[in-house]
Amino acid sequence: MSEQSDVLQGGPPPEAQPRWTVSRRAFLIGMATTGAALALGIPLGLPVLRRAAAGLTEGEAGGFARGNLEPLLWFEVYPDERVRVFVPKAEMGQGIHTALAQIAAEELEVAWERLEVLHASTSQASGDLRGTSGSMSVSTLYNPLRQAAATLREMLRAEAARLLDRPSADLVAREGVFELRGDSNTRLTYGELVAGGVDWQVPEAEVALKPPEAYRFIGRSLPRVDLAGKIIGQATCAYDARADGMLYGAAAHPPTIGARLLAARPGGAEGMPGVVKVVIDDGFAGVVAETRLQAWAARDALDVEWSEEHPWQQEELEDLVTVGGRGGVSIQRAGNALSALRCSTPIRAEYRSGMGAHATLEPQAALADIGAEGGRVWTSTQFETSVRSGVARALGMKPEQIEVIPTYLGGGFGRKIELDLVPSVAVQAARLSRAAGSPVHVGWDRQEEMRNGFVRPLTHHRLAASLDGQGSIAAMLHEQASGDALFGGFPPVVGKVLGFDFGSTRGGQIPYAIEHREVTAWRIPMPIPTGSWRGLGLMANMFALESFFDEVAHVAGADPLQFRLDHMPDDALGRRMRTALEAAAARAGWGNGLPEGRARGVACGIDGGTVVVEVAEVSLDRDAGRIRVHRVVAAVDPGRVINPDGATAQIEGSIVMGTSATLLEEITVKDGRVEAGNFDRYPLLRMAQAPDVETILLEAPDGKPRGLGEPAIGPIAAAIGNAFSALTGVRLRRLPMTPERVKGALAA
Amino acid sequence: MDITVNGQVYQVDSEPDRPLLWVLRDELALTGTKFGCGVGLCGSCEVHLDGNVARSCITMLSAVAGRAVRTIEGLADGTALHPVQQAFLDEQVPQCGWCMSGQMMRAAAFLEANPDPTEEEIASAMTSNLCRCGAYGRIRRAVAKAARSGDSGGGS
Repeated sequence: MSEQSDVLQGGPPPEAQPRWTVSRRAFLIGMATTGAALALGIPLGLPVLRRAAAGLTEGEAGGFARGNLEPLLWFEVYPDERVRVFVPKAEMGQGIHTALAQIAAEELEVAWERLEVLHASTSQASGDLRGTSGSMSVSTLYNPLRQAAATLREMLRAEAARLLDRPSADLVAREGVFELRGDSNTRLTYGELVAGGVDWQVPEAEVALKPPEAYRFIGRSLPRVDLAGKIIGQATCAYDARADGMLYGAAAHPPTIGARLLAARPGGAEGMPGVVKVVIDDGFAGVVAETRLQAWAARDALDVEWSEEHPWQQEELEDLVTVGGRGGVSIQRAGNALSALRCSTPIRAEYRSGMGAHATLEPQAALADIGAEGGRVWTSTQFETSVRSGVARALGMKPEQIEVIPTYLGGGFGRKIELDLVPSVAVQAARLSRAAGSPVHVGWDRQEEMRNGFVRPLTHHRLAASLDGQGSIAAMLHEQASGDALFGGFPPVVGKVLGFDFGSTRGGQIPYAIEHREVTAWRIPMPIPTGSWRGLGLMANMFALESFFDEVAHVAGADPLQFRLDHMPDDALGRRMRTALEAAAARAGWGNGLPEGRARGVACGIDGGTVVVEVAEVSLDRDAGRIRVHRVVAAVDPGRVINPDGATAQIEGSIVMGTSATLLEEITVKDGRVEAGNFDRYPLLRMAQAPDVETILLEAPDGKPRGLGEPAIGPIAAAIGNAFSALTGVRLRRLPMTPERVKGALAA
Repeated sequence: MDITVNGQVYQVDSEPDRPLLWVLRDELALTGTKFGCGVGLCGSCEVHLDGNVARSCITMLSAVAGRAVRTIEGLADGTALHPVQQAFLDEQVPQCGWCMSGQMMRAAAFLEANPDPTEEEIASAMTSNLCRCGAYGRIRRAVAKAARSGDSGGGS
């Protein structure tokens, strides 16, 4: 299959893998085995560092196993001047490969067009700390990536100084060349430096990093590195992966939530046109055929018997996810909100949010080529190492026997994270490939995608607040219940120990300066598989908190913007939030008149240190019950911005996806089955319904980069609901705000 | 039967009721045309048939006989990008990119028929194509820019 590698994204041929040795300061130095080249890697995972440290203190030269010498991230410099950086991060449209390239280029001083970013396969790099989620890629890699790039540059500089016989301080690095200061004829390129056989040494001391004033790549809107292929239809996602002799597979999926395969027979599948093999073993039934449509047809003709499970109804699930009873865990507490609220007549409200699908436009897909000794799997995944362990477990193999080669993702949004709760397309492809003895591609149809994934969980919120004599909030309580947003993927013991799911509570804390405030969370595992969805609990929690904050402002007779400013804490975060509120309000024209039939709403929040303020402008078609969001102004402060245009795109995308989830999207369950099977029953926001988004990027003075892929999805539902309330005087306390619910609320 | 895709004639040994999408992707290895919904709801699979936009997931092979199919792989003129592609690149439109072949094919056919559209005409022409990453604002800008560039790249 190696001849196919060139058409597949995700890594060089395996023979180009460097052989690593450990240097001082725990860097890994490698010489690529094909031709001269220099590679420098960093082990980031704690276990790797620990093993490295143990090896060094025990003085064992080369004293640890080959398998331990796997970097999380590394550079390769080639004699032809190309530089490759291998990263442990999936490109799903968020522009992470571009951002990481900019961070690397900054210290490496390499020509931008010579730098190539690749997502390393599981056999190339360490499994520790891999995965792409939580808007954490830039913030976690910003320092180590610059440190590795700077170290590599200094190694090259030392060699250039030796060859040119000049002091290294007299050499200037720029665009992949060392040049003698004041003499542009005395120069050596990075390619020339690595072409010779050199005994590379990592510098003794930690290399000093550039001051931000000198940045040339970080902070610029450089074009995305993945778009050239995407513009001409040549970027490869898992659904596009191909191999010589490839067959197509499909597997039977449970008809209802929780159903297990009791028995299966080939039934009508055997002998259908194109069917090559029917595979039934170990709770699995699938088919392999010559074409995809033949595989899908044969899948539907399998004679399968499923366990009878409770026929869950939507109302039962909603009753289940309700605040109260035992098991509530306090996740934020200042003063004594409960007793403060008892001594007053509090303002109270309840909020709910429905279930949501990721609806990635690329459905689940994987190509597997598995033999008796193991094999390779190409798939669109945010967590390639859990795909590897899942496939290995299903096949009774060791993880090292499986190489998972990540492709680009046709959308991720949290869905392309492996959860044991739901069928794995990679496992299906691997089982079928092993049974058929050929590469097998499995691609789900839309109905499989809609009904066999995990969903954003239901939430329920009870809020209460009281005002003091001056019209400020004296006490505020947020009680929150949610299905799992994160723990679906964790061993059960984690949930037992913590008692609450810290993914579900994301965005649920009260960010305001209120003397008595408390947030209590109930973790309610649901019978339907639930899991991560862009921002996890962020949108649901901020919808409840920020809508309720507006309700309290209304009772206090205060302007919602001013009420927020008045309750901002006087600390660094509060000051950043104040700046963002003022910037968004100024751009949106807060307080200025609007055409008849339009109104504005504001909402804000903090996620992972990123500050977000959104002002939405809406109108309403009363007869149809349809809310139209015309314009959203977003002021976002993520600290240091690596690529302003990429950051803007993430904010625009979060707001459009959040508007879609706010107005249209809901997964409902009937008779134990997800009702929607396609976009007719699960509509997504379309262009004619989408708001114009105006983004203001603010940069906190501390210079630290923070997350951007999710935070802006947090306040949007509340901003829309607050605008609706300003327009109509009616409060919407449930997501999504479908036409039926809007009409119901207006009629009540 | 023979089908003509991007000016090239291919002999295809496939059932006449097979959707063009799967012939393009699986027989001809032209995977730039994407599968999204399979029932004509999302637009990810859009191609040109004799210059008009068509959803290849619900276009049967038999309906393609004697007609010119153009896919994203044939939108550029060699290495020279079509003005729509250039505008999508300039405006940095795609995020994950999965819907983008369909978006660009629709935009190219639309501008061919209406070289000087209003904002409203652009939104109404493009609203049939879903983008989960939420790049609608950029798509609108890029289509307007491609129109302004004055040359929508000739027919297929």
